[in-house]
Amino acid sequence: MRRLVQGNEAVFRGAVAAGASYYAGYPISPSTEILNIASGWATEHPEFGFLQAEDEIASANSVIGASLAGAKAFTATSGPGFSLMQEAIGYAQKVGVPSVFVDVQRVGPATGMPTMPGQGDIAQVRYGSSGDYTPIAFYPNSVAEAFLMATNAFNAAEESRSPVILLSDTFVAHLNEVVDLDELAAGVTVAPRELTPLARNGDGEPRFFAGVLMYEHGPNAGEPATADADEYLRQFYAAKHRHLEVANRYALYQHGWNTEASTLVVCYGIVSRVAAPLAPDYALFRPIRIHPMLTDELRAVADRYEEIVVIEANDGQYADMAELALRRDVKRIPLLGGRISLEAVNAGLDRVLGGGPSEPPVPEPPAERAPRAPLGIG
Amino acid sequence: MPETAFAELDFKSKLKMDLFPTIWCPGCGIGTIMIELAMVLDELGMDQGNTVIVTGIGCTGRMGSYMKYEAVYTLHGRTLPVAEAIKTVRPELNVIVVAGDGDTASIGGNHLIHAIRRNAPITVLCNNNEIYGLTGGQTGPTTPSGTKTLSSPGGNPNTPINLQGIVRSSPHSLYARTTVYHQPQMRTAIREAIEHPGFSFVDITSQCIENNGRRIGFANANEMLTFYRKTYKRAPKGADRLGPHELGILYPEGHANGTNGNDTDGATSGPTATTPAETVPQTGAGASPRAERASVSDDEKARKRAESQKRLALMQRLDPAVKLQVAKGEVSLADALRAAGIDPEELG
Repeated sequence: MRRLVQGNEAVFRGAVAAGASYYAGYPISPSTEILNIASGWATEHPEFGFLQAEDEIASANSVIGASLAGAKAFTATSGPGFSLMQEAIGYAQKVGVPSVFVDVQRVGPATGMPTMPGQGDIAQVRYGSSGDYTPIAFYPNSVAEAFLMATNAFNAAEESRSPVILLSDTFVAHLNEVVDLDELAAGVTVAPRELTPLARNGDGEPRFFAGVLMYEHGPNAGEPATADADEYLRQFYAAKHRHLEVANRYALYQHGWNTEASTLVVCYGIVSRVAAPLAPDYALFRPIRIHPMLTDELRAVADRYEEIVVIEANDGQYADMAELALRRDVKRIPLLGGRISLEAVNAGLDRVLGGGPSEPPVPEPPAERAPRAPLGIG
Repeated sequence: MPETAFAELDFKSKLKMDLFPTIWCPGCGIGTIMIELAMVLDELGMDQGNTVIVTGIGCTGRMGSYMKYEAVYTLHGRTLPVAEAIKTVRPELNVIVVAGDGDTASIGGNHLIHAIRRNAPITVLCNNNEIYGLTGGQTGPTTPSGTKTLSSPGGNPNTPINLQGIVRSSPHSLYARTTVYHQPQMRTAIREAIEHPGFSFVDITSQCIENNGRRIGFANANEMLTFYRKTYKRAPKGADRLGPHELGILYPEGHANGTNGNDTDGATSGPTATTPAETVPQTGAGASPRAERASVSDDEKARKRAESQKRLALMQRLDPAVKLQVAKGEVSLADALRAAGIDPEELG
C-alpha cells in the first residue's frame, strides 16, 4: 500500500525486512521515533526483542549480546549517543559482531542544537573508536532509500561480520514521502547469519568472544596474544580485507544532474535534496556507501570536471577525505548551525566559485535582546 | 544410603584443564570461585549447550577463557547489558555473569542498578576483592574506608559502596554474601542464585594478596583466608539484612525460602513474608526448581552435611591411589572401605 512514511519509520521497517529481531535504544532526538516504533512492534510481535536501555552504552552492548546470541540486532541514536557507543563499536569490530548502528545526525558537538540537522559525524563514523578498523557506512537521502540502505546495512553486517553504520540526519529522518513498504520489502534479499550463535556450537571447542587479542586458531588457541604482533597482523588484515571485499559489493553512489557541466558538486544525505535545484548547471556526485571512501569511483567521476565543490553540513569532513582520495584541491561549502537551505548553498557557491573563502560571513552579535529565535530553518 | 560419587572432582570436566596453570597470581581467590562455580554447574547439569558465561575486564574476566562454556569477555563494565540481551534473545539459556567489584559497581554501576530495576533473569557473581588488582592496586568501589592503596596513599577517604543495599533496593532480587574461605556456603549461595528465576547477585569477598593484601599487612593468602574465617559469620536466623561481615542469602519478597537462607522454616518467618507472592514477577515458565528444593528443611540439610563430612573423614583413611579410584567412581566407597578393613557401617 502506498502511503506517507517517515524516514525513521522506513529505517525500522527496512531493518525488519532484513531480518532484524532485536532493538535496544535510548531516547534521543531526532532518532526517537525508531525507539517508539520498535517498542510498538515488539508488543505486536513477541518474538521481536526490545530494550529501552539505561543509556546508549547499554544499548550498544545490548545489541552486541543479542547478536552473539543469534539475533540480527540494531540500535539508533544521534551524535551524542553515538559518541557513547564508540567503545562498543570498537568491540564489535574486534570480535566480529554483525550489528547495525543508526546515527541520525544533529548539530554538535555535545548537546549542540538537538532539533537541527547536521552531518558532523562523518569522521566519527570512520575514526570514532580507538585503534584501526574499517567500518562500512551508508547514508541515504530519501525515505525509500532509507528503507533500502537499512536492508543493505544488515546484509553487509552479516557478510562482513562487523558493525555497520547507517547514517541519517534530522531532515531525512523526519521526511515524509509516499512509498509502498510492501513493494520495497518484496525486493529485499536477506543475508543469512554465518556466525554460529552462542551455545549452539554443539560439542565444538567453546568459544571465548574477547575484546582482548587472543589466539583464535592453531596450537595456542585460547591463550592470550596480547604481546604478539604477528597474531595482530593476521587478525587485523583478515578483518580489513573481509570488510573491504564486502564493501565493494555495495559501492553505491549517484552520478547525475547535468553531467555536461564543468563543476561537480559532491554532497550526500539531505544536502543533496536541498541542492537539487542546482541540477541544470552542475553535475552531482553523491556517495551513498559513504565509508570506506569510494576512492576509485570518485576519481573516475571527478576527472571529467574542472571544479569540485563539496557541500556538507559540517566543516569539511568529507572534503578532507575527497582531497586525500583525489590528491587535488576541492572547494568547500560548510553549511553549519543547521542552516541547510538553498539560499545558503547558492551563497556558498557564489563565494567559493568567485575565489572567496569557504567560511561564510559571520554576523556580529545582536546589540539588543532579540526575540526568541523561531524553530526551523534559519 | 546411596553410594555417593565424589562429585567434587567431576567439576574438572567443566574446565579447560589444558590451559592450566591460569594467569592468576599464586594465592588469588578467583580460582576458588571458578571451581565452586564449576561444581555447581556440574551439579545442576548445566553444559555448554544451555549455559553462557559473560565476564568483565580484569583478572576476574579471564575466568571465561578457562571454562568449557561459550563465553563473552565484554568491555569493562558492560557485562550486564550483554548478558541481559543474550537472555532476552535466548530465554532457554542460563546466563551467568562473573565480574570484579570495579567492573560491577564502579564502571558498570549504572547497568547494575538498571538490571536490578528490570529484574533481569541473570546471575551475577561478583569477585569482591576490594581493589583494582590487575592495574596494580588502586582504590575500588568496595575498598573499605581508610585502606591504603596506590591511589589512596593516605587511606581511602570514602565509604565503600553498599552492594547489599543496591541489590535489595528491588523487592525481586536475590542477594547473597559469601567469602572464598566459606566454600560450602559459597556453593550454596551460587546454586540458590542460579536457581532464582529473577535477578540474583552473589557478593563474594575474595583475597588479592599480591596487590592489596600485602600492602595492608597480610603476609600471605592463608592469613587473608584466616581473617575471613575469624571475621565473617553466618547471619542470625530470620535476619532480613546482613550486617557487616555477616554471610547469608537474602531472598526476594514472597520467595519460598522466606527472607533469609538461615530461616528455620522457610516461608513463614521474616518481616517481608506478609507480602503477597503475586507481587513477584514470574520470569520463568511454571514452577521453578526452587519450589521443590524449598521442602528440604534445615535439619535435613544439617544431617546431609554431617553425613558428607563423615564420608570425607573415612575417605582420609584410605590409600591415596584407592581414594582416586573411589573419586573416579571405579570402586564404591563401601567396597574400598571393606578392602581396607574399615567397617562401612561407620558410614551410618
